[in-house]
Amino acid sequence: MRYGFATLTVLVAMFILPSIGVSQDFDFFEPHTTLGGYGELHYNYSKIEDAKSKKTLDFHRFIMFFGYAWTEKWSFKSELELEHNFVDGEKGELELEQAYINYHHADYLGFQAGVVLVSTGLINEFHEPPLFLSVERPYYNKVILPTTWFGNGAALYGNTSGFDYKIVVMEGLNSDKFSASSGIRGGRQKGFKADAENLLYNGRVDYLGLPGLKIGASYIYNNANGDSTTIQIGLIEFHTQYQNKGLYAAFEIGNISYDSGDVEASRGYYFDVAYNIGKLFGIDSKILPFFRYYDINTAAETKSGGDSEKKYHYTQWMIGLSFLPIDQIAFKIDYAQKTVELESITTDLFNLGVGYMF
Amino acid sequence: MKRLLKIFFLLLFLMLNLIEMKTLAQVIKEETEALIIEIFGEEVNFTFSKFELADTIKKKVESIVKQKFFGEFIYLYTISANDKIIAFGFLDNVYGKSMPITFFVLIDINGNIISTNIIKYREAYGGAVSNKAWIEQFTGKNIEANFKVGWDISSISGATISVNSVTKGIKKILLLYEEIKDEL
Repeated sequence: MRYGFATLTVLVAMFILPSIGVSQDFDFFEPHTTLGGYGELHYNYSKIEDAKSKKTLDFHRFIMFFGYAWTEKWSFKSELELEHNFVDGEKGELELEQAYINYHHADYLGFQAGVVLVSTGLINEFHEPPLFLSVERPYYNKVILPTTWFGNGAALYGNTSGFDYKIVVMEGLNSDKFSASSGIRGGRQKGFKADAENLLYNGRVDYLGLPGLKIGASYIYNNANGDSTTIQIGLIEFHTQYQNKGLYAAFEIGNISYDSGDVEASRGYYFDVAYNIGKLFGIDSKILPFFRYYDINTAAETKSGGDSEKKYHYTQWMIGLSFLPIDQIAFKIDYAQKTVELESITTDLFNLGVGYMF
Repeated sequence: MKRLLKIFFLLLFLMLNLIEMKTLAQVIKEETEALIIEIFGEEVNFTFSKFELADTIKKKVESIVKQKFFGEFIYLYTISANDKIIAFGFLDNVYGKSMPITFFVLIDINGNIISTNIIKYREAYGGAVSNKAWIEQFTGKNIEANFKVGWDISSISGATISVNSVTKGIKKILLLYEEIKDEL
């Protein structure tokens, strides 16, 4: 009884005294909710050789971001995505793309747990429409780095001395869904009651110490398993981006090795160059004509060899224009010619798009 | 005995949490003041005040920069040596994606930037604005400078929001100084 009363007194004193003593000055943080979002509408036209053209209009993705910060160190962030306007069976997708508790201990060390993103390439973590030039995300970031690559797991991150790093451990891939046409993309479990038998391990480092330049690499390892297959994959990639004085350039190259199955390796690269001509007109808006080239083969090395290594070997050049009246809105147009090595069949592609972020 | 131990650990836990609460704000104050000493030396004197922003000045500067002031006050340090004012320090905040970024701008009496520093960065992404190479590029600038990201101010890939916010925030301080310097 005596101890209880003494404890109570001390507790009360501890809560009241500091708040009298400590000034409210220099305390700039207040708990708050953040709402945000991004999205994009696309018009896509494609024509393979003399075949009839295919045209689609699609609100490709609509994302709602909401988060809450309880303290300077503890916060929650999430992204909910609706793809293709509508969900019905196999049509459309509704996904919880991010949902994690974030503990920011210091700039050099933080921790995340929940639905997190794999830390790889230039676009997986920075995928808002005004942040890339073309209407659709680069093909490299579809079949080599399957953006948006997310899943249930945990991560450590930090920034120190010009270096930025992240280490992620999360659910692995379903090896039954790997394919020669799209590499490991089909294997993403997307968090749905994910099989946690074999976890995925990922590490990424970037150097940001030189003005306007980002240069980095990442590695991903997963002993992926499915109902009928087990395929160990190792993905290594290198990426760099430069933005200065109106010039914009990006380059990504990656390789995936598989230890079983017919496909033994997927690899590819692409590069973008653009220049902001808005400055020449003396306006604040950005007008970015750009050129892209890629060379990607999701079945670069196969056990069967021969045509199977040519069937999904694509090279493409693209020209386009990205217009950003303000930094958060982008109107885009692009035209490309894509050629497959097998029989040199060419596809004409034309796209229009509008995207936003806030 | 067991009960005493439970109470002891509970008190210890509470104490550690309260200590954390107390020192976060204190750390910002101490780091800012340590910076002043580091740049100007031990012999300087400085005074601190919370400068209230007049509505007209606030709105004028906000509309030029297109960024709102964080609060009603700006934290102002007046630095003097040998009884003469030699510099002013402004401690202010801008928003990154969802958290405040606390920064400190030191200017000479002519409005030229002596030094800029990020005092506290709170987000998981975009922390590269704290990199020396980036934050030091503001040194020497005054209100004549462009403050255009991608031109006279380099951008940081993956830190677009924080780069733009901090750049505007620093420009805002210079414009504010221009408006209030006769009062200081």
